[in-house]
Amino acid sequence: MIVNHLKLLVGGMQLRDGVVTMTDVLGRIIVRAGLHVLAMERGYASTIYGAHQYDPMVVSEKPPTSWGDRAMDVLIALDYDSNPDANEQPNRDTVLRHGRDVKDGGILIYDSSTGAINTESLERRGVRIFPIPARNIARDELKKDVVKNVIMVGALCRLLDFDPQGAYFRALIEERFLRKGQDIVDLNLRAAQRGREVVEESLRGHGWTDVGYRLEPRRLDDPFIFIAGNEALSIGAIKAGCRYYAGYPITPASAILEYMEEHLPTYGGRAMQGQNERESIRAAIGASLVGARAMVGTSGPGLSLKVEEFGTSGMTETPVVIVDTQRAGPSTGMPTKSEQGDVWLSVFGGHGEIPRIVLAPGDQEECYTMMIEAHHLADKYQCPVFFLTDLNLSEGRKTIPESFFLTQQAVVDRSTLVTEGDLRRDGAYRRYTVTESGISQRLIPGTVGAIFKATGSEHDERGFVSTDPLIRKAQVDKRLRKMETYLREDAPAPQVFGRPAGHLVLMGWGSTRPVLLEAQQRLRDRGIDAVVVHFTHLWPFNTAAVKPLLEKATARIAVEGNFSGQFADIVQAYCLVPVSRILKYNGLPLYPGEIVDGVETMLREGTAVVRITDGPVPVKVLEGD
Amino acid sequence: MADTKPQKITAKTWDENAVPRHRIQWCPGCGDFGVLAALKMALTKLEITPHELLIVSGIGCSGQIRNYLNGNAFHGTHGGPLAYALGAKMANPRLKVISTAGDGDTFAIGVENFVHICRRDPELLHIIMDNGVYGLTKGQHSPTHGRGMNIEQWSEEAPPPFAPLRLALTAGATFVAQSFSGDPKHAAEIYVQGLQHKGFAMVNDFSPCVTYNKFNTYDWYRAHVEEIPKDHDPTDINTAWELLNEFDRKERLPLGVIYRHPRNKKTFEPVPMWPRELADVDIRPLLNEFK
Repeated sequence: MIVNHLKLLVGGMQLRDGVVTMTDVLGRIIVRAGLHVLAMERGYASTIYGAHQYDPMVVSEKPPTSWGDRAMDVLIALDYDSNPDANEQPNRDTVLRHGRDVKDGGILIYDSSTGAINTESLERRGVRIFPIPARNIARDELKKDVVKNVIMVGALCRLLDFDPQGAYFRALIEERFLRKGQDIVDLNLRAAQRGREVVEESLRGHGWTDVGYRLEPRRLDDPFIFIAGNEALSIGAIKAGCRYYAGYPITPASAILEYMEEHLPTYGGRAMQGQNERESIRAAIGASLVGARAMVGTSGPGLSLKVEEFGTSGMTETPVVIVDTQRAGPSTGMPTKSEQGDVWLSVFGGHGEIPRIVLAPGDQEECYTMMIEAHHLADKYQCPVFFLTDLNLSEGRKTIPESFFLTQQAVVDRSTLVTEGDLRRDGAYRRYTVTESGISQRLIPGTVGAIFKATGSEHDERGFVSTDPLIRKAQVDKRLRKMETYLREDAPAPQVFGRPAGHLVLMGWGSTRPVLLEAQQRLRDRGIDAVVVHFTHLWPFNTAAVKPLLEKATARIAVEGNFSGQFADIVQAYCLVPVSRILKYNGLPLYPGEIVDGVETMLREGTAVVRITDGPVPVKVLEGD
Repeated sequence: MADTKPQKITAKTWDENAVPRHRIQWCPGCGDFGVLAALKMALTKLEITPHELLIVSGIGCSGQIRNYLNGNAFHGTHGGPLAYALGAKMANPRLKVISTAGDGDTFAIGVENFVHICRRDPELLHIIMDNGVYGLTKGQHSPTHGRGMNIEQWSEEAPPPFAPLRLALTAGATFVAQSFSGDPKHAAEIYVQGLQHKGFAMVNDFSPCVTYNKFNTYDWYRAHVEEIPKDHDPTDINTAWELLNEFDRKERLPLGVIYRHPRNKKTFEPVPMWPRELADVDIRPLLNEFK
């Protein structure tokens, strides 16, 4: 019996089958029972209806190190009719695509409304099969098609011997639907009960008393919340005092826009859907100019459109936080697939040279904490601050203790702003005063006692346009000197897991940290000691802190979600040490097993680059764009 | 730079914190001088103080106007001024925000912003310094090039001139006006009305480029502009369209307020920005929905 440790995957047809509705309900009731959930591999297509969608989820008693490999214990297939592109058996994109990944002795639950499917190969591997005519029960008995996934929730809970009285489920349903009427609540409760009954019958038929897996509630003194990166960073921004947000709809950043539109006004702020990507960032720069902490959110294609304004922010020294929820590029690329391909664009994008800071949180917790930091840094250094997440992190959900959010310090420090009282009476305020730190005091229009002129043209200290060679050099130096100040005062060393001397260094940045750490554990089991060096602060590059770590290593392997090893190139250039690469860019999440294989291949064969490949998808399915 | 906070706002107020007149880098006789003069008159008349003023200007000769008068100013990218101004006004509605840009900045590279700001309707005055050319890059054609020219055949390379007022009306602007920098006094009156308008005020100002536009000269404009009749009712959209049609028929360019119809709009306070306003932000209510 495996207790409180499993991976499940819910699959079905996008929009129709309610895959995410089901994982959301499941996630929440499991979270309320005090168990950890990590759901970061969400797969969907850039179409509204019809494509295959799936949502894997790891459930465990302790916080899971990572989302593990593709293999799962429980597969739940919500689709009930045939895939026109796979006629070999009626139904079942989900089973065809993911059936091979069900572990031996695992569980398959599928909607058998249109008939049973051939599961011989699975049964041979000891997989227990539960056909449930959920669509038919929903349609014919309950007269409401949409509750078919609630039937599946009930069925799954029974199989896992979880929430036998339905208390967690009932509480959630009442919170959600009671205001819509008792009949809606009753309908959902009945649907779940019907799911339980079907499973009960099936268990009796097989003479099974259990299925080898169980979820047991744990007492929780500190309740969890179940949250995605997009929402965590949005709350972080609100906490940090961000009161102006603009964004143009784009996957996977739209959730930030929607969240801010809903909640920012409550805090006195304003959130605006831009008419295009450029209007968004320009409006944010305008809001920042007059003193608001301002932010924009976008993904790769939108970031490309905003490049011109990186320079405006850098040159006029107007802070702006730019969230880039990376997705697979280039061009439209694969809008619903994750990638880490925008390092070069964030670090180097734009003509000329500007001060800029590039951050990349490693998990949902850091989406929150580092967003607070991002706004502080933007204010202090008066430049664009990039915040790189990716699709997996921005839409991936995770359990985090509520207290984590409530105990973080967030003092809003705006000491680089001048107020009326700070102004010198001789009227000598100069917006772009050359200072040792490179940081000049910023005036907010409306402050009585002074005015300023800000411009993206080269300018003198007062902000008047100048091409005088001495002034030009002094201003370029001043602006870029801010990055030296940043390295001295604010740039942390990378996170180091393990003892760095004399070992193999596994390097990564952003959302890959969980898989790096799990790969490290597995390598240790196989007799390979690796140190994980993980970067959340990508730029300016902290050579002084990084170089010594890498020089002592026996080998350096960077793991990244792009073709070239964009960050590895920077590391290599700045630290003057060769960096090997394990790279993945096929749209699927990175798995720890792949890193282990990659490292072993490299050590065995001396390969410098391993590009991870997955087998072909067993079902040909057209996806939208 | 000091905002000397004069007791009274006078014409002189606007010369402080500004590039001195003899250093102004517009060609002698440039129409932009008229815009500058008219703008100073309007600001003086309304007793706007330099510290509450934010001028966002575009790229090109017109963009230099920000440095030629007192007040806060921002100068970003080509096509961008309206969007910066929008964000600034949203974040702090107490500021007086004016954006200035050429017809290229507004109707070519920045038309995406112009069209939608007419719908958004933030309370700001946008003055288009319309000269029909890209002067700073030495005279290439801009969107209003060809106004009044008798051209028999057009091409993709050389299309007919753009119609600023018609676009503004179509896009839903709530204040549409036209002025001529050759008559700064009249232009100033229009700017005053624009600054008093509770919404987006668009003023297309004919501002001749004396160096590169040898067709739409001061003389040409004087021969073609005409103040709109005193009895014109600017609050009626149909009357506004009829006026434009009528002026087109007689091949005249209307000067004055063609349309003015403020919308019922929500009002906002400046967004919180100071540490005391942002201390102890309670995020607890936000966390509840994730339980």
